[in-house]
Amino acid sequence: MLKLDQIHKTYMTPQGPLRVLENVSLTLAPGQSLALMGESGSGKSTLLHLAAGLDLPDQGHIALAGQNLASLAEPARAKLRREQLGLVFQQFHLVPSLSVIDNLRLQARLAKREDADWSAHLIERLGLEGLEKRYPEQLSGGQQQRLAIGRALALRPALLLADEPTGNLDETTADEVLELLLSLVHETQCALLIVTHSLQVAAPLDRCLRLRHGRLLDAAL
Amino acid sequence: MTQILSTLLSHYRRHPGQLAMLLLGLWVASALWSGIQAINATARDSYARADALFDTQLDQLERRDGAPLTLTDYHALRQSGLPVSPMLEGEVVTQDGTRLTLIGIDPLTLSSNNALSQTDSSASLTDFLAPPWQTRAAPDTLAALGLERADAPGATPLLADGNRLPPLVLSPPLPPNTLIMDIAAAARILSSGDKVTRIVTAPDTLTEAPDGLMLTRATSLATPGQLTESFHLNLTALGLLAWIVGLFIVQAALGLALEQRLGMLRTLRVLGVSGRGLILALSLELILLGIIGALAGIASGVWLARVLLPDVAATLGSLYGAGVGQELNLPWHYWTGGLAVSLGGLLLASSGVLWRAARLNMLQLGQMQAWRSGYRRQLMLMGIAGALALITALTLYGWLRFHPPGEGLVAGFGLIAALLLASALWLPLLLALVLKGLTTLTRRRPLIHWAFADMQLQLPKLSLAMMALLIALATNLGVGSMVGGFRLTFLDWLDQRLVAPLYLNAPAEQYADIDAWLAERDDVSERLLTRRSNATLQSVDSAKGSRTLGGPVELYGITPGESLTPHWPLLATQQGRSSAWAAFDEGSAFVNEQLATAENLSTGDRLTLSAPGINETLTIAAIYPDYGNPSGQILMASPQLAARFDAPPSSMGLVLSDNADVEALRTALNERFDLGRDALTDQAEIKRIATEIFERTFTITRALNVLTLAVAALALLASLLAQARTRRQQLAPLWALGVPRSQLAWLNLAQLGGAALVTGLLAIPLGIAITWGLVAIINVAAFGWRLPLYLFPGEITVTLAMAMAVAVALLAAAIPALRFWRASPRALLAEETHQ
Repeated sequence: MLKLDQIHKTYMTPQGPLRVLENVSLTLAPGQSLALMGESGSGKSTLLHLAAGLDLPDQGHIALAGQNLASLAEPARAKLRREQLGLVFQQFHLVPSLSVIDNLRLQARLAKREDADWSAHLIERLGLEGLEKRYPEQLSGGQQQRLAIGRALALRPALLLADEPTGNLDETTADEVLELLLSLVHETQCALLIVTHSLQVAAPLDRCLRLRHGRLLDAAL
Repeated sequence: MTQILSTLLSHYRRHPGQLAMLLLGLWVASALWSGIQAINATARDSYARADALFDTQLDQLERRDGAPLTLTDYHALRQSGLPVSPMLEGEVVTQDGTRLTLIGIDPLTLSSNNALSQTDSSASLTDFLAPPWQTRAAPDTLAALGLERADAPGATPLLADGNRLPPLVLSPPLPPNTLIMDIAAAARILSSGDKVTRIVTAPDTLTEAPDGLMLTRATSLATPGQLTESFHLNLTALGLLAWIVGLFIVQAALGLALEQRLGMLRTLRVLGVSGRGLILALSLELILLGIIGALAGIASGVWLARVLLPDVAATLGSLYGAGVGQELNLPWHYWTGGLAVSLGGLLLASSGVLWRAARLNMLQLGQMQAWRSGYRRQLMLMGIAGALALITALTLYGWLRFHPPGEGLVAGFGLIAALLLASALWLPLLLALVLKGLTTLTRRRPLIHWAFADMQLQLPKLSLAMMALLIALATNLGVGSMVGGFRLTFLDWLDQRLVAPLYLNAPAEQYADIDAWLAERDDVSERLLTRRSNATLQSVDSAKGSRTLGGPVELYGITPGESLTPHWPLLATQQGRSSAWAAFDEGSAFVNEQLATAENLSTGDRLTLSAPGINETLTIAAIYPDYGNPSGQILMASPQLAARFDAPPSSMGLVLSDNADVEALRTALNERFDLGRDALTDQAEIKRIATEIFERTFTITRALNVLTLAVAALALLASLLAQARTRRQQLAPLWALGVPRSQLAWLNLAQLGGAALVTGLLAIPLGIAITWGLVAIINVAAFGWRLPLYLFPGEITVTLAMAMAVAVALLAAAIPALRFWRASPRALLAEETHQ
C-alpha cells in the first residue's frame, strides 16, 4: 500500500539546512496498521506529509497504491490523495463554512464516491446524530475530531494517515476517539499509519516504529 | 500605560499589513478631504480679495452705444459736478507668457473707502502718482513675474512686449494675477491713448445714468463667492464621499486588529489591567496612529491641491469669471481643521470597535466569537439601519416634491447620501441571502458548494470593502452619466443656438450700416442681430398674485427667423411653439430656466422690469434652457429690446447662401468697414472654445471620481491583504484533501470576482438613481437648470460597472491567491498547525 525507500529530507532554515529525515525506509501492507513514534521534532509529521504527497523527498522513492509520488505532477498527487487517502490531523482541519454533514461528505464527494448509507452509518457510529446541520465551531473538541475521522473514512480510503489524532483532546475523550478510530478502520479494512508520541495510542496497532533525529530505529514494540 | 501600549502595538509588528491598511485608510481619507479643503480655502481667499476690489463695490458707467469711453467723457462728467473716477483695464503678458490683469486707477478721485485708494501716507501717495510710479501686486502674483518675495520690493519686471513695470510694492489684499498702478502709468504700458475702460462712482451716488451712458449698480454685480458657492459645495460633497470611503478602510482594519488581539486583551486583563485602562490604551494607540495618518494625509492633500488647482482656477475663471490664485494660500485653521476632521473620522470609525472592546467579558475574551451568530446579528442591525436610511431618503424625496425645484440643495445631497447608505447597508444582507441560496442550490457540486459556503464565511471581513466599492462605483456611474449627459445636452444646445456659420463683432454704432450693407448682398441670406442690456426685475404678476422681487437680470435680444426659430429649444410654452414665437415677435419675452427656477416663474406671468429711466412690463411666452449661464436671462426679439430698453447691438450671426465665399465676404467687410480680421468668428471656433471650457470644468470632477474609485479599490485590496494569511489557512485543508492548488487559486479568484460582479450589478440601478438626483435635484438647486436624464447602457454603465468591479476584484485577489500558489506545502501546514 505504502512504501518509503531511503527517504532523505532537509529544510532550509534561517540558521542553515536542517536535516529532518535521513535514510528512512518502511513498508505498510493493505489492511495493516503502523504507529510511528518519536519525540517532538523527530520528523514524524514530515514523514506523514511525504507519505500523503503533501511534500516531496529530496532523495528516495515513495510509492503509494503502486504509484511513484515523485513522478506525479501536483494535480495527479492531489487526485491520488483525494481518491486513496484519508487524513486526520491533530488540529482537525475542518472546513468552518460547511455544516457537519457537508464536512463529513466533502472528500467523498470530491472523489465522486459518496455513499449516503455509509455516511449515515458513520454519523451514527461517530455519535453525531442530531448535529448534522451544525457548524464545526459549534462542536466540542472531541466531536470535531470524530467528525474529522468520519470525513477521512467517508470515502473508504485505502490508507488512513493520522497525525496525533488525539493530541488535542483530554484523556477520556482521547480514549473514546481512539477506540472509535480503530473500530472504524477495522470496519473499512484500510491500512493505517498513525504518528503519535503516545504508547497508549501505538499499543493496539500491528506494528510500531520509532524515529529519532530523523532516523528510523528498531521496532519499539 | 506605556507597557500596555507597547504590548498592544506589538501586534502590528507581527502584522505590518494591518498597520499599513489602517494608515492607508487614514491617509487617503484625510488626503482627499484636505486636498479639496485646500482648494476651497485658496479660492475663498481669492474671492475675499476680489470682493474688496472695486468690481463689486462701485457703480459703473459705460457708453450706451458700446463705444469706448474716453477721458473727454470723464472730463465732461466731472465738469457737470459728478463725483466719478476713471479706470483703465487691460492685459499684459509676462515673460513666461502669463496674462495679468492691469488696472489703472486715479487714487485721488476713487471712492475713499475702497481698499485700493487707501495709501499709507501722503509720501506713498506721491510715489504712486508720480514717475517712476508704483506697481502694486499681491505676493502670489510674483511667481508669474519671475520674482522671489525677497527680491520683489522695488523690482521693475520686464514684460513680453519689452515694457517695464514701475517699481513693485507688495500689497497682500489684492487679488491674484492683478497689477494696480496709477492710470497714467497704465495708459503708457497699455498704449491706450485717452481711452478709459469704465467710469466708476461710489454706490448710489448717481440716481440715474447721465445722457448716453448706462449705469450698472454695484448691487447688481454678483460677487465671485456667491457665484461659485454651488461649485465648491459639489467639491466638498465629493471630498466627503472620499473621506467616508477612506474610513471604511480604517474601520475594516480596526475590526480585524481587534479580532486578532482578543487573546492578547484577555491576557492583559488577567494580568491585572483594568477594562478602563485597556480602553484608554486602545484610544491612545488610535490617537497616535491617527496623528501619523492625518499628517501624511494633509501633506498629500496639499500636494493634490497644488496639482488640481490650475484646472480649478481655469474652470472658475471661465465659468464665473472668478480669479483664483494658482498658489495655495492656507490659513492656520486649515491645518488644525484637517487634523481635527481626520481624528474625528478615526473616532467615528473606531467607536464601534472600542464599544465592542469595552463590552467584552473577561472570561470570554479569548474565544473567537461564533462568526455565524455574531454576523447574523450584525446583518440584522445593518438591515434595520438601511431601512432607516431608506425612510430618510423617502422623507427627503417627499419634502423635495412639495418644494419649488430651486430649493433643497442640502436636502438633495442628503437624499443621495441616504440612498447610498441604504444600499451599502443592505449589500451584505443581500449578498448573504444570494450566497445562502446558491449554497443550497449547489449541494451536489462539492467544490462549488464549498466556494459559496466559504464566501459566506469571508463576507463579514469583505463586506465593508464591498460596501465602499458599491458606493464608489455607483457614484462613479452617477457622476459619469451626469457629465456624459451634460456633454451631449450642451453640444446639442450649442448646435441649436449657434445656427449661423459666421458671427460678427463690431463697434455698436456700426451695426446699422453693416446691416444695411449686408442686406444688399446675395451671399448673406439672413442677418441675426443680437442685443444685450441689463435691468432689474422689479415684480411679477401671476395667477397666484403679485410679488416684488428686485434682482438683476440680463436682457438678450435675438432675431427670430427661419434659421433660428425652428431649432431654438423651449422647455415650456403657454400654447405651443408657434404661438410662443408669434407672441415673442409681438413683444412677449422668454425667460431662461435659471430665472424661472430661481423666481418660481411660469409662462403667462407678467414681469415688470426697470432700467435707469425705463419701466416695462412683459409677458412670459416660454421658458428656454440656457446651460452654463450662471445668471437669470430674459430673451426678447431684438427690435423690441432696442425699442423698449434702448439696448445696443452686441453681435450679428450671418447665415450664408449656398454658394457664399466666406473669405470674399470677410475681405469685403474689412475693406468697407475697417473691422479687423478678428471681427468675424467661425461658428466652429466658438464651439471649440465653448467645448474646451466645458471639458476643463469637469476635469476636477473626473479626477476626484477616479480617486474615490481608487480608494475603494484600495479598501478591497487592503481587506484582502489583511486576511490573506487566514485565507491560506482556510484553503490548506481543501488542498490536503486533494483539491489541486491551481483549482483553489481559480476558485478564490472566481469567488471575489463574482462578489464584485454582483456589487457592480447593484451599482447600476444605484448609479442611475444618483444620476437622477444630480440632474433633477442637485443641478437645479445649484445652477438653476435641469438636465435631461441620459443613460449610456451600452458604454458607460456596463463597461464601468463590470470592467471596474471585476478588474479591481481580480487584481486585489491576485496577490493573496498567488501567495497561496507559491507558498510551500510545509509553510501552509505550519500555518494550519499554528492556527
